[in-house]
Amino acid sequence: MSLLTVRGLSVAAGGVDLLRGFDATLGEGELVALVGASGSGKTTMLRTLARLVDPPEGEVLLRGRTAEQWGFPTYRRRVSFLAQRPMVLDQTVLANLSRPFRLRAAGASFPEARALALMKRLRLSGIAADRNARSLSEGERQRVCLVRTLLVEPDVLLLDEPTSALDAGVVEIVETVLREQVRAGRGAIVVTHDVVQAARLCDRVIELEPFLPVSEGSRRAG
Amino acid sequence: MPVEHVLPIGPLQLLAATALVLVAGAVSVGLRLGLERKLAVAALRTVLQLLMVGYILSWVFGIDSALVLVGLLLVMIALASRAAVQRASRTFRGATARAFLTLALTGTVCTFTVTEVVIGIEPWYRPQYVIPLLGMVLGNSLTGISLCLDHALEVFSDQRDRVEMDLALGATRWEAAREPIAEAVRRGMIPILNTMTVVGIVSLPGMMTGQILQGADPIDAVEYQIVVMFMLSAATSLGSILMALLVYRRLFNERHQLLRDRIEARATSA
Repeated sequence: MSLLTVRGLSVAAGGVDLLRGFDATLGEGELVALVGASGSGKTTMLRTLARLVDPPEGEVLLRGRTAEQWGFPTYRRRVSFLAQRPMVLDQTVLANLSRPFRLRAAGASFPEARALALMKRLRLSGIAADRNARSLSEGERQRVCLVRTLLVEPDVLLLDEPTSALDAGVVEIVETVLREQVRAGRGAIVVTHDVVQAARLCDRVIELEPFLPVSEGSRRAG
Repeated sequence: MPVEHVLPIGPLQLLAATALVLVAGAVSVGLRLGLERKLAVAALRTVLQLLMVGYILSWVFGIDSALVLVGLLLVMIALASRAAVQRASRTFRGATARAFLTLALTGTVCTFTVTEVVIGIEPWYRPQYVIPLLGMVLGNSLTGISLCLDHALEVFSDQRDRVEMDLALGATRWEAAREPIAEAVRRGMIPILNTMTVVGIVSLPGMMTGQILQGADPIDAVEYQIVVMFMLSAATSLGSILMALLVYRRLFNERHQLLRDRIEARATSA
């Protein structure tokens, strides 16, 4: 069974349809790139898949069940959206990382050791866990937010330009971590404006063209 | 302490008070501040508005009717609701109705708790107690509500990313909204808390001053003022909390989504 099934989905922003009749599936261990021109609805598509907004038409199923059937908090715990602009609160790095585990939907306590290991993996080990997250650079914040999302261990990662603020060396590390995540059975949809990265990182590339049938290319990551 | 009666003010005394405003106007002319026209208009408005309310109150006090009182209270609450919403820089459809509901509930509960339980007026609709007390409650509550509304709408409009970050991590709508809502309530309560902190030290409240000028025992006036301050703090707190909850219910749906499209910018803010 596919992880995520999308049927006849319309995507709209501000009452204007950006996309209609979108069908797609995402399997376990699959990494898909979502590309398209600015304003083609890539970010809105991810927000719609996370059900942060309602689609005017169509449905999104996680393991055959809708968000209504899962319950929205549980669904979003399993289909986790990470915004392009890294959002950290005016708290320590550790408090930011442990935030999802203070929610009612959290099924486990904050895995601090794993958090520190992931930080080290993403070259954040030089940052003290008690440092205020707002004092970090944009690239550091982006990685802290990625760590926070990965700690939740969602079935599906919806990542909006997850490497847009990173140096080339760190981009490579993030890509390696993402490949490891999907090898562990997760699925991931990554919005990127970088077609070279899309080809390098992802198994498939979906190009969004507003108001036209969606074209789907397929290529295996080398 | 012997109780004195209020010393009446006649036309000559009013003219003497007017001289004070004229002096201020003359200073403005002398220093070319350009404020004399605004001062004159403000002074004229003060006289006309107060005379108008004086005659209306005299009429209402004379009628002694529960129906007329309730009608007047509804008008006061409606005007206060409109003012509360107009002061905020953003709004949403149904904001005035929610402000009305908030002020009607918290205003009447607090006012009638004081008139019925604390003072024990007979009959319950004696306008010389109910109208001034509700007026004070509404004046303070609408400030609290508008500050609360302004902050809540600002956060939910400008900081969607922050709210949706929590929602994306599996927060319920309440978990995602709780901190902004709590901050909005705090903002709404700041003015009354500040007033309560300095009351009697920096300034004497108007009602207490009025009672003392009328010859009341200062201790009696203080006791009344304590009751009034508690009434105002309760009304402002409960008003801010209720308004914040109504905003929350309007801007989040049962699918735990933030409905930012419902927030509209006001063309001009008061």
